[in-house]
Amino acid sequence: MPAKVALKRNPKKNPLGRVFVGNIGALAIGLKYFLDPNRITLLYPHEYIKLRQGYRGFIVLIQDKCISCSSCARICPARAMKMLSVKVFDKRLKKEMVKKFPVINYNRCIFCGYCVDVCPTEALYHVPYHDLVYMNMQDMILSLEDFQKEPENVSAKEGIPVRYVFDEKRGLVKIKQEEEKKEISQPVEQTKQQESTKQQTNNPEPKSVNKGGVNQ
Amino acid sequence: MITWYLVYRIIVDDIIFYPPIYQFLIIPGLIAALLVALFIIWFERKAAAFVQMRYGPREIAPRIGGAIQLVADLTRYALQEIIIPETVDVLPYILSPIIMIILALLPLEAVPLTSIRTYFPIPPDYSLLIAVALSTLSPLFVVLMSWASNNKFAVVGGIRESFIITAYELIAVLGFLSAAAMTQSFNIVNIVNIQMSGKWLGLLNPIALLAVFIAVLMSTSGFPFEIPDSESELVAGPYTEYTGLLYGLNMGGGYIKRWVFSILIALVFLGGWAPYKPVPGIITGYFIPSLIVSIKALIVMAIMSFLRSVYGRYRVDQALGIAWEILIPLTLAAFGLGLAEAYFGII
Repeated sequence: MPAKVALKRNPKKNPLGRVFVGNIGALAIGLKYFLDPNRITLLYPHEYIKLRQGYRGFIVLIQDKCISCSSCARICPARAMKMLSVKVFDKRLKKEMVKKFPVINYNRCIFCGYCVDVCPTEALYHVPYHDLVYMNMQDMILSLEDFQKEPENVSAKEGIPVRYVFDEKRGLVKIKQEEEKKEISQPVEQTKQQESTKQQTNNPEPKSVNKGGVNQ
Repeated sequence: MITWYLVYRIIVDDIIFYPPIYQFLIIPGLIAALLVALFIIWFERKAAAFVQMRYGPREIAPRIGGAIQLVADLTRYALQEIIIPETVDVLPYILSPIIMIILALLPLEAVPLTSIRTYFPIPPDYSLLIAVALSTLSPLFVVLMSWASNNKFAVVGGIRESFIITAYELIAVLGFLSAAAMTQSFNIVNIVNIQMSGKWLGLLNPIALLAVFIAVLMSTSGFPFEIPDSESELVAGPYTEYTGLLYGLNMGGGYIKRWVFSILIALVFLGGWAPYKPVPGIITGYFIPSLIVSIKALIVMAIMSFLRSVYGRYRVDQALGIAWEILIPLTLAAFGLGLAEAYFGII
C-alpha cells in the first residue's frame, strides 16, 4: 500500500514562530547529531566494504573445465578477451595437441560479466573484489597462468570488513563484521536499534539492502 | 641560597605575575590565546564533522582524535615562503597583521581578573568602558590590510568588513554597556561582586547576552557570519594576498579577537570568577580567578564554534538587515530592561 500524501502544517508562518522553531529546531538537530554521531565515512585503507558473492570483480579461469568454444572471446564487447593457442596434453585422447584458451587484457575489460554468463561449462567466475593496482600497463595483460590464479585481495590484508545497512531510525549505518556476528550470537539483551539492524542482517536473501551498491 | 630565593621571587612576582605582563602574555593573553585557538579550531572541525556524519581530522593521531593536526598545519604555515607581491604597499602590508593582533589583545590589559587590589593592571574604575573602546581598534587594520594589498578581492573584503564593523560594534558596545546601566558602575570588579550572589547578569538580562553573542560572532567574522572572508565568493577576503606566517597570523587573529570578547562576556554576563572568592596570595588570589574566567570564556567560544555546523552563511545585505532592523532595537530594549531592573531593585 503506497504511503498517504499528507500536507505538513507549517509552523513557521508568523515571524516569532520562524525565529523560535527554525533556530531552536536546527540547534536541536545539530546537538542530537553531535552527542550521538552516526559516522558513515569509509576509512578506506583501514576498512573496506565486504562485497557479496555475485559481484562482478576480477575474472578467473578454470582451465580444466574450458572446452575452447571461444564464446567468451566472441561476446566480449570491449574485445578484452582473446583466445591463445597453447600446446596441452589431452587426458581423454591421451596425446599432445594444440588447444585454444582465453586470456584477458584488463586495459580493455569493462567488467560487464558477459563472458562469465555465456560460458557453457562455467569455466570462468568472478571474485567479489576489484581494488587492485597494477604498476604498469604491461602487467594488465595476463598470461594464461596468471589468469588461472585469483588476484590477491589487498584491501582484506590491511583493513577490516565493513557493511552498510539501512536502519529505519538512523538512516545509513556502518557496521563492522565482528560486531554483526556478536549481535547474531547474542539475541537476548538488545536495545531497539540493535534489533532493527539485526532483523535486516539476518536475512541472507537479496531482499536485504546492501548488494555492493553503496560504494563510497 | 637566599640570593636564589630572591631571584625566584623576582621572576615570579615581578615578571610572570606582574599584572600587565601576565594578562597580556600568559593567561588570558598570547600563550593562552594560542592554545585556545588550537583547541577551538580542532573542536570546530570535529563538531562540524560529527554533525555532518564524518570523522574530521583523524589520520595524524587516531587515538586522540587527530588533535595534533593543527600543530602540523601551524608548522606548515611557519615554514612556508612569504611571498610579497610587487603591487602591494609594503610597509602597511607587513605591519598591519602584526598590529592587528597586538591591538586585538589590548583590551585584556584593561580588564581586572581578580578583586584584590595589588593585581589590577590599571585602576579598574572605568575598566568596562576602556576595554570596550579598545576592542574597536583592531578592525581598522583589517581595512588597512585590504587597501594595502591592492587586490580587487581584498578591497571587496575590506569594504564588507567595514560595513559589518560599523553595524555590529555598535550592538556589542551597547550590549556591554547595558550591564553598566544595570549596576550603575563601569567598574568590572563591582559588576562581578554584584553577581557573586548567583544573580548573573546574563540570566537577569538574556536579551543583552544574546545581542552581544551575535554581535561578537559577526564582528569577528565567526562562521555563520563569515562574510568578509567568504571562500566561495572572495578568495580569502582581505587576506587574499598573504602567504605563510602572515596568513597564519590573520587566521589566528579572528580567533584571538573572539577570545578577548569571550573573556569580556564571561566577566560581564557570566559572573567572572563568581563562585570563587579570591584570597590574598599569588595562586589563590590571581591565578585561580583568571583560570576560572578563562574556562568560562572557553565554553562561550565552544558554543560559538558549534554554530558553524548548524547555520549557513548570510549575505551582506541580510546580515546588515539583521543588524539595523532587528538587533539594534533588541539591544535598546535590553538597555531599557536593564534600567528597569535597576530601578525596581531586582539586582
